[in-house]
Amino acid sequence: MTPSSHSSPLHAQPLGDSAVAIVFGTERSAQLLHEIHSAARALEAARFPHVEDVVPAYLALTVFYDSLRISYREISAGLLAACEGVVDFAKAPTPRTHRIPVRYDGPDLDFIASSTGLAVDDVVARHLGRSYTVDLLGFVPGFGYLGELDPALQLPRRDQPRPRVTAGSVAIAAAQTAVYPLDTPGGWHIIGSTSTVMFDPARNPPALLAPGDTVQFERVQ
Amino acid sequence: MITITRSPPYLTVQNGGRRNSRSLGVPRGGAMDLFAVRAVNAIVGNSLEAAALEWALGGGAVRFERDCVVAIGGATARATLAGRIIPPCTASYARAGDELIVDQLTSGRFLYLGCDGGIDVPILLGSRCTYLPGHFGGFEGRTLRSGDTLKLGERPFARPAEGFHSAADLMPRYDSEIVHVIRGTRADLFDESDWRTFTESDYKISMASDRTGYKLEGPVIKNSLGNLPSEAGCPGAIQIPGDGLPIALMADAPTIGGYPKIAVISEADLPILAQRRPGESIRFQLITIEQSQRALKRRASDMQTISQLASRS
Repeated sequence: MTPSSHSSPLHAQPLGDSAVAIVFGTERSAQLLHEIHSAARALEAARFPHVEDVVPAYLALTVFYDSLRISYREISAGLLAACEGVVDFAKAPTPRTHRIPVRYDGPDLDFIASSTGLAVDDVVARHLGRSYTVDLLGFVPGFGYLGELDPALQLPRRDQPRPRVTAGSVAIAAAQTAVYPLDTPGGWHIIGSTSTVMFDPARNPPALLAPGDTVQFERVQ
Repeated sequence: MITITRSPPYLTVQNGGRRNSRSLGVPRGGAMDLFAVRAVNAIVGNSLEAAALEWALGGGAVRFERDCVVAIGGATARATLAGRIIPPCTASYARAGDELIVDQLTSGRFLYLGCDGGIDVPILLGSRCTYLPGHFGGFEGRTLRSGDTLKLGERPFARPAEGFHSAADLMPRYDSEIVHVIRGTRADLFDESDWRTFTESDYKISMASDRTGYKLEGPVIKNSLGNLPSEAGCPGAIQIPGDGLPIALMADAPTIGGYPKIAVISEADLPILAQRRPGESIRFQLITIEQSQRALKRRASDMQTISQLASRS
């Protein structure tokens, strides 16, 4: 991995007083996501002083730090230098495969069908028709952003998020699908539900999914 | 131990929050008003990260089952200890069996009650704070109910003098109309007129406001940006969803989200917004990251001052 493969030059942006986003590019791609996860692993392994958390996302990784001990200017310079030279030395953990049973009974199934012009059965078949990679973990505890959804099923998020989506809801939005690990407001279209426990703080690790894992949904009645 | 003798509608165990699990999607969480929770700890002689009670939406009562140094802060409340009025941000000595009664919260939204030794609940993912959406942390992952009893930690060696009081000039100006912000990660996507709207209008806290975020009502900020790839968020980030009305993310802010962030509230000022009630308003003023981090350092040094004064009192 060389810095020249970045689709735009690496730069830093503050996210408030105690976090900095290291931006890797402007367009989502599997390659960019791979670079970001590699850099995140490298930063974790390097144990940068005053760093609390490293949060990878599609275009940037965000580092949370103790801003009483190090300034934005100082930490962003250090992180940029570290990310410039990242090679994939911190080996990715071995990915796991998860089979998640889904009952396709979501309240948005008809909406998805009519918006995509597909029959409900076809919507379900396309959702089941491929395995997904865990792109990111985030939003709420244990929520995995799974890609990449069948292009025929890709719809924008709802304009108005629902005030409450129940735990276990299986949903889609844009190029992703996901399982809601807990009751939360949510803007994705709900296609079904599962009984799989996605997050348990007493479990080690607490989150069922990890970035790079594979998810295969299986239909149950 | 302390016993919740009459629970207010909302009561949880909180502290400074979880700071090492965001990569699993676990929000920082913790107290809505980080300054106030640390201040009540400082005043009773605790470490700043000790757990305290976060109290909202009405009156209630707790009974101390052992001698205890207690302090309340954050929202203003009419409160008594063993029948005598207790002022805010003041070390009061409770005897075993004494009851602290909060009649009502007169202004502000979140009251903190600190006891020396702190609330002793298990540490989960690095913190004692309650994360209600996930039903974990704090006391059984839930709001406290009448009849619950909570263990207290060991009392600190040094005890502040009874009546020790933290000066008002060491506290945030909760009545300030202005809340400072720095530019957000998507600030460039908003043009000059959006920024004028954002910084020159009063925004009212809507009824749709909770520990996750405060929806704000006021002039719409036009947003034709559509969906962005999800990116990290934090408490204080102000995002503009499709309807153009800003949402200020608060303590339980999602770690990642897809709405563009126009600005992020200066951490030093976040307690001011946290303590605003629905219907009250604020105005945003832009500062630089350098100014914002300086303000945060001043807050931290004020907190140190409170701790030192308490230990010398």
